[in-house]
Amino acid sequence: MDTGKNRAENRPSTKSGDYLWDRSGEPDPEIQKLESLLGKFRHDSPTPVFPAIVPERRWTFSSWRLRLFPALATAAVAVAAIVVVTFLVYRANPTPTTLAGWDVSEVQGAPRIGRKTLSANEGRSRLGIGQMLETDSQSRASLQEDDTGKIQVDPSTRLRLLSMGSGLKRIALDRGTIHTYIWAPPGQFVVDTPSAVTVDLGCAYTLRVDDSGAGMVRTSLGWVGFKLNGHESFIPAGAACATRPKVGPGTPYFEDSSAEFRAALTRFDFEDSTPGQRAHDVAIVLSEARNRDALTLWHLLARVDDQQRVLVYDRLSQFVPPPATVTKEGILRLDQPMLDQWWNELGFDDISVWHHWERSWAGTATPVPEK
Amino acid sequence: MARSGDRSDLLAAGLGPGPVREQFASEISEDVTWVAAAQDGDRAAFGQLYERYARMVHGVLLAKVPVGEVDDLVQDVFIRALRRLSTLRETASFGAWLAAIARNVANDYHRRSVPEEPLTDDASDQEIQCGTSCADQDEQAIAILAAVMSLSETYRETLILRLVEGMTGPEIAARTGMTHGSVRVNLHRGMEQLRAKMIASPSRTGPEQEKS
Repeated sequence: MDTGKNRAENRPSTKSGDYLWDRSGEPDPEIQKLESLLGKFRHDSPTPVFPAIVPERRWTFSSWRLRLFPALATAAVAVAAIVVVTFLVYRANPTPTTLAGWDVSEVQGAPRIGRKTLSANEGRSRLGIGQMLETDSQSRASLQEDDTGKIQVDPSTRLRLLSMGSGLKRIALDRGTIHTYIWAPPGQFVVDTPSAVTVDLGCAYTLRVDDSGAGMVRTSLGWVGFKLNGHESFIPAGAACATRPKVGPGTPYFEDSSAEFRAALTRFDFEDSTPGQRAHDVAIVLSEARNRDALTLWHLLARVDDQQRVLVYDRLSQFVPPPATVTKEGILRLDQPMLDQWWNELGFDDISVWHHWERSWAGTATPVPEK
Repeated sequence: MARSGDRSDLLAAGLGPGPVREQFASEISEDVTWVAAAQDGDRAAFGQLYERYARMVHGVLLAKVPVGEVDDLVQDVFIRALRRLSTLRETASFGAWLAAIARNVANDYHRRSVPEEPLTDDASDQEIQCGTSCADQDEQAIAILAAVMSLSETYRETLILRLVEGMTGPEIAARTGMTHGSVRVNLHRGMEQLRAKMIASPSRTGPEQEKS
């Protein structure tokens, strides 16, 4: 009788050995079957957004540092003692609700914080810095932080709380959907996604990230900034903007724009088109644009080539004439102050809010990896 | 001209065929560049390291903790690595260093957690995304994974990297810092033991029975 044992004993070791070692030689059906069955446990998560890396100064034992060593050692012992005492005091009087974090409420189903499963009947829970909240397909939860705002977490979502600094509250949305209502000052609430950083500029918005890392933000109040390594989009209420890994934020648009307009914009932003196709898509966008689509046209100024920029300038001028201080020549060479002045004519909000945030944020975080 | 036996000996001694060896040597050189860049604050470089090593970390963890916990712990490992990156001096040994962190994270998990979750046939416990049509295959996969998990740690880690994560022997060696010889021995002995387990309970582990 042909049993597995017989086959295992009779199998020429070199043949199966090569396949087991480096998949060379004749494939071994038994190992292939095991690979196929066990492959479902394989790692398949997309690259998460990692927190900023603060480079540490690399110390060398130069003589003056060696002379400082006793003082440093004493200081380290003192700090360690303070940490131990603090820990012991804290352990004696635990007050978890006073720790930095977001309160978890409106729990439905069985969302998890790390390995802890929450339930609706449970008392107050808190998402602390470094912790992960995950909802399955049947779960929901809300997060609230008195000084920042409220986040509704939809089913099948995974997010992490990265920081709760006084000037910057930061979470990472790995996948799923959140609805945010932010009352913190503009620029203080930031969401990292796998393909862009979302910056609240005083608003309410919905942010969705799919399993591929692609994202979509829809603003319902105020406006949102979307950023990836210098590629920026501003999304006012009623508008939406998609983002894709390796590309970053696309061009924002109002959701009531025509289907042709949106389709052409998506191709322009994310498809690997020829210059001719891109020019064709820009022509569709320009011909379908309405007055309020000035939002999209303003963003396109910096994304099209020199020839198309003239066409975009002319069309945008028909909808919103540039202020007297802005020249066509300046816009065509993408003079930033002139672009800002024209943006401020569009009637959304003063772009200096964004630049103020950019300046204050510079140095505290590095951009999302661009692959 | 080398005979096949000679080739085997070379492999066991950690000296793989030229192209493979060159490929991983160039990867190590890339690792050194990325680690240095990440140490200087470059998150994109750390992202590259994640892309390259996530499967290895996942496999090392899967060999030690329940399936449902692995994804979270993979993130823990990389966050821990990110925080400690400045302490890494032998940048060419990033893989071995990361594997050690992964094993420590798995050990921490066991120290923290109350009774260890057994690997059961209950698909819901294993977070398998599959409809009823593939329930049998899921059951079989879980049973085989349970058989792998019953092997000694050395064998199960290497086998999981090969059979679950789809890494080749040379790749396992390059990523974990083990020698080719060790990986080869672990694969062969582990596979022998796994076959014995599958023969002992054929109704659960499937493949052997299916072929007879």
